[in-house]
Amino acid sequence: MTLANDNPANQQAAAAARLKRRHLVSWAFEKACLTLTLSAVVVLGILLWQVFSDGIHWLDLQFLQSFPSRFVEKAGVKSALYGTLWLVSLTALISLPIGVLGAIYLEEYAPTSRLTRIIEINIANLAGVPSIVYGILGLAIFVRFMGLERSVLAGAMTMSLLILPVIVISAKEAIRAVPSSIRLAAFAVGATQWQVVRAHVLPEALPGILTGVILALSRAIGETAPLIMIGALTYVAFIPEGPMDEFTALPIQIFNWTSRPQAEFHELAAAGIIVLLAVLLTMNAVAVYIRYRGTRR
Amino acid sequence: MSVLATSRNRWGEYLLGKLFFFCAFISVITTVTVIAILAVETFGFFQEVSVSEFLFGTEWRPLLHPKAYGILPLLAGTMLIVVGSSLVALPIGLACAVYLSEYASEKARNIIKPVLEVLAGIPTVVYGYFALTFVTPVIRGMFESTQVFNAASAAIVVGIMVLPMVASLCDDALRSVPASLREGAYSLGATSFEVSARIVLPAALSGIFAAFVLAVSRAIGETMAVTLAAGATPNLTLNPLESIQTMTAYIVQVSLGDTPSGTLTYKTLFAVASLLFGITLLMNLLANHVMRKYQEVYE
Amino acid sequence: MNQVNSTILETRDVYIKYAGEAAVKGVTLPIYEKKITAIIGPSGCGKSTLLRSLNRMNDFIDMVTQEGEILYRGTDLYAPEVDPVEARLRIGMVFQRPNPFPKSIYRNVAWGPTINGLEGDMNLRVERALKQAALWEEVKDRLDDSALNLSGGQQQRLCIARALAMEPEVILMDEPCSALDPVSTARIEDLLFELKENYTIVIVTHNMQQASRVSDYTAFMESGILIEYGDTEQVFTRPAQKRTEEYVTGRFG
Repeated sequence: MTLANDNPANQQAAAAARLKRRHLVSWAFEKACLTLTLSAVVVLGILLWQVFSDGIHWLDLQFLQSFPSRFVEKAGVKSALYGTLWLVSLTALISLPIGVLGAIYLEEYAPTSRLTRIIEINIANLAGVPSIVYGILGLAIFVRFMGLERSVLAGAMTMSLLILPVIVISAKEAIRAVPSSIRLAAFAVGATQWQVVRAHVLPEALPGILTGVILALSRAIGETAPLIMIGALTYVAFIPEGPMDEFTALPIQIFNWTSRPQAEFHELAAAGIIVLLAVLLTMNAVAVYIRYRGTRR
Repeated sequence: MSVLATSRNRWGEYLLGKLFFFCAFISVITTVTVIAILAVETFGFFQEVSVSEFLFGTEWRPLLHPKAYGILPLLAGTMLIVVGSSLVALPIGLACAVYLSEYASEKARNIIKPVLEVLAGIPTVVYGYFALTFVTPVIRGMFESTQVFNAASAAIVVGIMVLPMVASLCDDALRSVPASLREGAYSLGATSFEVSARIVLPAALSGIFAAFVLAVSRAIGETMAVTLAAGATPNLTLNPLESIQTMTAYIVQVSLGDTPSGTLTYKTLFAVASLLFGITLLMNLLANHVMRKYQEVYE
Repeated sequence: MNQVNSTILETRDVYIKYAGEAAVKGVTLPIYEKKITAIIGPSGCGKSTLLRSLNRMNDFIDMVTQEGEILYRGTDLYAPEVDPVEARLRIGMVFQRPNPFPKSIYRNVAWGPTINGLEGDMNLRVERALKQAALWEEVKDRLDDSALNLSGGQQQRLCIARALAMEPEVILMDEPCSALDPVSTARIEDLLFELKENYTIVIVTHNMQQASRVSDYTAFMESGILIEYGDTEQVFTRPAQKRTEEYVTGRFG
């Protein structure tokens, strides 16, 4: 240190040593945080490597076009892939309108009342309820009480309940991001509440809403526990043709193969995971694209 | 007001408002239904099994004779997972958050944030696969006595699974601490460690606490990784190398079989699920309450 | 000791750029020991940026680059062997908005000396700093209360006390009264007169009355350029530059 100091020399040396130690601690702390952060990146790398090195050689057209089988060479994900597509489409049809309209209510219509507060708190807490509890709800209400059995519809309704809180929360955020000056301007020229929402708020908020919906749906695609609860883990060697048909889904098929003791089936599971991750990646890419388009405007 | 309001037909507007309200209200209906179903079936369960046997019994054997309905082994299994995953997720998640909010350049943030999002987006069944095919062999290589299905492996992957949530919520909490506090501390001759550890972390403490509570709640409710990797042996043990069973894994185990409604086994599902739901709900309420509080502080 | 007009801090041809755009352009400015130097000018003129460079607070903003020299008792503050932490020990700062830590009043004042391991009786040090900041009488019975419970004016005096507890040589003040009401402002201005007995003060302000009331020297900046510098009385009554005259008489800014 070269700054002038009127302290005696030894005191200055002690202070300098102390400062050096503090800098060392600070440096070590930063590096420790960095190392731990990088460890998360490394773990992701290992996980992906593990999946790809195990599964990639099973991944071919035959795998995509075959039904599950006791024989490893003949087994495939056809019914699971179609089941997942059915499931996610129906889930989107059910949850998107309900979630978005619910968010519109909470952001644009709801009075500041006790009931509104209860709804808000309730949604925040529902988002943290374990997915398996939704599975039990689906089992008791949709499968048994409503008699939908193990249908795609029962699965989609269960999944819809599961992701509704996520959709509502993200749609609310997107709606809230619309500047209130737009609303005031529209109200000032005599527009009704619904006209303001439809003509001004929704178009502005749409990219944000869609991004949130897609991310919520990709959560539904990966969920396994609720589907097991409603009994979707069965041998299904056909493609659902309507909402009342039985179905299987990718994560269910992966679970099935993983839980078998034979290593070959584990490799099939890895191949199934690659297909599942590919579906998720596609959906996320769409979400990123929509977000990008939305922010560019 | 009335003169204006009646001047035109606003029935459409009125009905739309009601419809929107109903959509939002579905969430409340969901909660009420969940609670009602759990309560009814659990009540039925306690007609046949005493509350004290359920809460304090040390053996859980509902599928084999002689039957026993003590939840403690399942709770112990769940706790092993919670403790193990917390050891992984809380320190690393917090370190990630500190690095992201206090040190990382814009560039580094733009790399690390997406990696965490990918980790968060990977389905839980994939983590189960990872536990079984990678983590378990590694642990068995280190400790020979390790069973094929063991709590440690599941706990580690559950930790990896909730880590992104911890990191992102803690990051939010740290970033809500005003930059002016950091500047004030630096102007007093503090090093970056002193600013982070003595000013920023204490100021963000309630947010970090909420993040930790939510992470633990997630770990309690996690299902697929523990079902695949931790086993199906209700086991009152503290040894993470043994096979155990969590509450969630038990629920899966029962539902994999075809259990007719009305039987006692069917009702155990709901008794266990009630406990699971009750614990996680309390933790979520607590965390959300704390989070709302801290968001008010710096607004 | 030569107390009259000895230079403690000095900027020499300093340029500061944000992402390539110059906010401070070639400023050369002496800061005299135990005097109050005011830097005035319209908002965005670079006065805060210049002030923050005097104790290296711009280090924390990415994309800031700096040229020229800033000498503290003859040593360049930005020389590679200079530790910014130690520089900030000697040169304290008070910010535009009061920024007390969410801790007790006592711990706010004691925080800097504690982490820096300053010797001596801490209670005495805290009391002395609070007295110097004219806050002692108001808080002496509730030192353990949260600092966030104080009023805005009290919080700002606490932040001054926090800086004083480090016994710095120079205190930089970045519009310290801009968030305060007139009564609190007057109290802080009174305080400045007392502090100048022992400290060198550099104060950035856009309040011209304040500059003319409290400072010994005044620097006027516009668009990053130091237009005029001199004795405060001279700058306000007989400015050498036309722009200065227009500004201090309130014709723009």
